[in-house]
Amino acid sequence: MVEAIGLYKSFGSVEAVRGVSFSVSRGEIFGLLGPNGAGKTTTIRMITGLLRPDRGRAFIMGIDVHRNPIGARSHIGVVPEVSNPYVDLSVWDNLVLIGKLYCIPKETIIERGKFLLEELGLYDRRSSKAKTLSKGMRRRLLLAMALISDPEILFLDEPTSGLDVFSARKIRSMIMGLRRNGKTIVLTTHNIDEAGMLCDRVAIINKGKIIAEGTPDDLRIRYGKYIEIKVLFDNSIDSSVLNELRDHYNVTCDEKWVTIICEKNELDEVLDKIMNIKHRLGLRIKDLHIESQSFEDIFVRIVRGE
Amino acid sequence: MVACISDYLKKIWALSIKDMRLYYFKGPTIVMGVFMPMFLWLAFMIGSSPSIGSAVAMLLSISSFFAASSITPVILPWETRQKTLEMILARPITIELVLMGTCLASMLYGVFISLVIIAIGIFLGVCPANIPVLIASILLSSICYSFMGLLFSAIPSDVPADAVLLSSVVRMPLIFISGVFVPINRLPILMRPLSYVSPLTYYADIINDLYIGRSAFSLGIDFLVLLLFTIILGIFTIETNRRTIIKRL
Repeated sequence: MVEAIGLYKSFGSVEAVRGVSFSVSRGEIFGLLGPNGAGKTTTIRMITGLLRPDRGRAFIMGIDVHRNPIGARSHIGVVPEVSNPYVDLSVWDNLVLIGKLYCIPKETIIERGKFLLEELGLYDRRSSKAKTLSKGMRRRLLLAMALISDPEILFLDEPTSGLDVFSARKIRSMIMGLRRNGKTIVLTTHNIDEAGMLCDRVAIINKGKIIAEGTPDDLRIRYGKYIEIKVLFDNSIDSSVLNELRDHYNVTCDEKWVTIICEKNELDEVLDKIMNIKHRLGLRIKDLHIESQSFEDIFVRIVRGE
Repeated sequence: MVACISDYLKKIWALSIKDMRLYYFKGPTIVMGVFMPMFLWLAFMIGSSPSIGSAVAMLLSISSFFAASSITPVILPWETRQKTLEMILARPITIELVLMGTCLASMLYGVFISLVIIAIGIFLGVCPANIPVLIASILLSSICYSFMGLLFSAIPSDVPADAVLLSSVVRMPLIFISGVFVPINRLPILMRPLSYVSPLTYYADIINDLYIGRSAFSLGIDFLVLLLFTIILGIFTIETNRRTIIKRL
């Protein structure tokens, strides 16, 4: 459905995207993850035909985006990261305008527009100017505008960026609903937990290059071999006591809390050492947590190249 | 092929309707498109006593010029600032269609203002010698001026005032060298060559011919040169904006 082959893009001396390739299958939610400035938005802009790549090609449903941008874009809906509806037009007029740009018959626009606004909780506000909507509502309106053409593929650039928890949850549940309806979705985000929650497959992009790709579970297994042990002692301990642990593991100490990051197979050994310290210093353990790394930790490790 | 052209025209019209609704009543459009030519005209009228025919011809010449070139400089910077440009460009349209929609809205604004002035003239008993020629000249010149206005918006700024300022710097001198207030043959000899490179000269010449029977060129030359200006400005404007529009995203 979507294919990027060796995309390159530079802005002056800055190489924003360096050889990005991936493909997305029908009905899949594909996440492009990366820190700010990693090249996610530039990649999406190239795939949707807004930017011409210096090298490489992009295809939407087999159509070369740069040879036939109108043909390719007629199959997609896009919610760009930095975008707004026309604030001086009503919610309904924004929808109708986009419908007309897809040359959708008037009756279909009316029928589909009504359905979408009801689904997205905006029907009661259809006559309101978009400038009177909250940020979350505007984002939902943009989603409705992207869906008015009933596209096979949806590009969502940072769909929940800057939204409050409730609006973000609503958008996420809509994305899940779209997947159930068979839509193919490409989303970019720097919200790692969101990607872990929503995406069937993710690619992690950093400094313009894809550095890891797979399902969130794949990445957890491949890169998530570390665990975090947090111990709360009844008294603060001298940091030098922990030197014997520091030689082998990543250890931080914050008064009574000691945090040790080690590989899963070292757990037994580390717990022994902690018990040794406890007995030697006559301390009591008041709390103990052992956690696998979160998807966010794994992402950070991948991006840092650890 | 026919379906394709029909789709393009529908998209241009949809974009144009959007521009009409959003920009016809914006402050810069009304100030630069309606008030500015009116005050310039009034300033010239005070102290001079031209015939009603001359007065209507002058007002019509500068009003068409200012009105048709007042919206195009504003739209792209405004949409960049409002963050709607990328949203609209991500649809199945091209940059050229967006520019065409903008030009159409601007052209129709110029035509509308011109028709109002023609109607006022008729109400005052001043009729043009040939209405179809007048309408043709208004349509052609409005397209030409809207392209000219769009050229000013090629600076990739998100401040509409920047484009308006630039357009004013160019448009103001054109008023005085194009035979609107002072006939070309009464201009200083050194300024005359400049008047020949202003599209307003040829439109004002047609209007003067139709309202007061005074012209520097034949109607054929006026239309031909105006058409050449329109084609050259159109190509240059679209190409320049195509290069800079991506910098706005």
